[in-house]
Amino acid sequence: MAVLKLEGRTLKLSDEGYLVKPKKWDEDVACEMARVAEGLAELTDEHWAVIRYIRRHFVAHKRAPLIRALCEETDLSLKRIYQLFPSGPAKGACKIAGLPRPDGCV
Amino acid sequence: MRLARKDPILESTRNPFLELDIPSDVGISYLDNAATSYPKPAEVYDFMDMVYRKAGVNPGRSGFDLCREAGDLIDETRGILCSLFGGTDPNRLVFGHNATDALNLAIFGLIGPGDHVVTTQLEHNSVVRPLWTLQEDERVEVDWIEFGAAGFVDPEAIVERLRANTKAVVMNHASNVLGTVQDVAAVGEVCRERGIHLIVDVSQTAGKIPARMDDLAADVICFTGHKSLMGPMGTGGLYVREGVEIRKTRAGGTGVRSAERRHLDEYPYRLEFGTHNLIGIAGLNAGVRWVEGIGMEAIHAQEMTLWQALRDGLSGIDGVTLYCQDARRPADRIAVLSFNVSGFEAADVGTMLDVDSGIACRTGLHCAPMVHEALGTDELHGSVRLSLGPYNTPEQIDRTIEAVREIAELGASRRST
Repeated sequence: MAVLKLEGRTLKLSDEGYLVKPKKWDEDVACEMARVAEGLAELTDEHWAVIRYIRRHFVAHKRAPLIRALCEETDLSLKRIYQLFPSGPAKGACKIAGLPRPDGCV
Repeated sequence: MRLARKDPILESTRNPFLELDIPSDVGISYLDNAATSYPKPAEVYDFMDMVYRKAGVNPGRSGFDLCREAGDLIDETRGILCSLFGGTDPNRLVFGHNATDALNLAIFGLIGPGDHVVTTQLEHNSVVRPLWTLQEDERVEVDWIEFGAAGFVDPEAIVERLRANTKAVVMNHASNVLGTVQDVAAVGEVCRERGIHLIVDVSQTAGKIPARMDDLAADVICFTGHKSLMGPMGTGGLYVREGVEIRKTRAGGTGVRSAERRHLDEYPYRLEFGTHNLIGIAGLNAGVRWVEGIGMEAIHAQEMTLWQALRDGLSGIDGVTLYCQDARRPADRIAVLSFNVSGFEAADVGTMLDVDSGIACRTGLHCAPMVHEALGTDELHGSVRLSLGPYNTPEQIDRTIEAVREIAELGASRRST
C-alpha cells in the first residue's frame, strides 16, 4: 500500500492515492499531498479556498460537494480550478483535501 | 435539487428555423437529445396533463365509457405509429417500456439455442447485452461486424457472414455515438431472400428520418418514444411484420379473455403484459402528431444545418478530435457528434461545458462500449457527445464552439507545462 510520509508521521493511501483515513488530514497533509500528487510546490489563496470549501463540505455532509456549488462558493470557474489543480476537482482538489475517492459529483 | 437555472446562452426564446417557441423554464443549452429529447413540445405536456386529469383510468379494462375512451386513445396511437413505420396492421404495433424492452422481446423471442446471429460493433447495449447473454448462456453464435473508418458498416460484410443456421441480423438504423445512418435496406433485402429475420433498432432515427418496414426490409422495428418522437420517457415498442411470430417470454393480464390460462397468441396481446402506460402513450401520441405537423424533413434539415456549423467549428480547433464526422455524406447522418479534447478526459470536458457554460451533453461510453473499443476511445473513458434537437438554435451552437475552444486552449496550456 502506498504511503504519504510527513515529519514524524506516515499515512496510508489507497491505490489511487487518496487518504485511507480522512480524519488524519490537516493542512500539512494537504501541502504534502499537493506536492506529491499534483506537483504543486506552493498552495495559493485560490488553492486554499477550494481545498477548505471541499473539506468543510465533507466534514458537514460526509461527501464531496457538487461541482457547480464548488464554483459558486469559491467564485472560480471550473476552467480556473483545472488550472489550479491539473488533475481536476475530483482527482486533484478532493485528494488534497483528504477526501476518499468521490463517486460521481466532484 | 437545484432546478432553477437560466440558460446563459439563450438570448432568444424563439427558434429561428422552425419558429418554435422555446419554453422559458428550460435553464440550459440542451445538447443531449440522443439521450432524450428536451424540452418536449408544450402540446405533449398539455395533452398528458389533460388525459391524466380527465381520463386517468385503466384503458380498456372496464366497460364504462371513459375506460373505453382511454382504450381508444391507446388504439389511436397504435394506428399513428403503425402508419409512421409503414405497417399494415395496427395490432402488430406493440407497446413496451422503451426500446431496450422492445429489443429484449424481439431478440429473446426469435433467437434460441443453436442459432447464429449477425450484428455490428455499432450497437447499443440494448442489443449487445441481450445477444451477449444468448452467446454466453444459450449456445447462440454471434458475429460482431466491424464498422469502417467513416463509421459505416459495409452491408456486404454482414451478408458474407450469413450461414444456413443464421436466424437473425440485429442492427441499428443509426449509431447513437457517431450519428451515421446505416444501409439497413441492403442487408434487409438479402435477409428477406434467405428467410432470415432482420431486427432493426430505430431508437435514434424514428422521428428524424423515415424508418419504414418495407423501405428497410425489416421484420421487426424497435423504437423508443422519448427521443425524436418527442414523447415522454417510459414509452416505446415494436412493429412486427405479418408472418413473424415472436415467442412470448412473459405472460400476464391483457384485459380481454381473462378466463384463458395461457397468455394470448394474437397481437398486440401476444407481447403486451399488464396495464398500459396511458399517460406516456398519450404524450407519445401528442409528440408524434407534433413531429408530423412540423414535418420530419424540416426538423432534420434544421438539425443538420446546425450539425454542419458545429462540425465545421469544432474541426477547426487545435486539440479537438472528431470521430467519424464526415461532412461529405450529410444525407447519411443524423445530428450526433462525438469528439474529445486533448489534455482532458471526456467527463472533464462535459463538466466544464455544464458548469462554466450551461451546456448539457453526454460523456463516457454512451452504452455502446464496442464503438469506443473500435475507435480506441475506451482508454480515454469515451468521448463527448453533442446531439441536437428541434429546439436548438444557432447561438447555442456558436457558444458551444467557443466553449470548446476555451477548453482546448486550457488543454494546450496544461500540455505545455
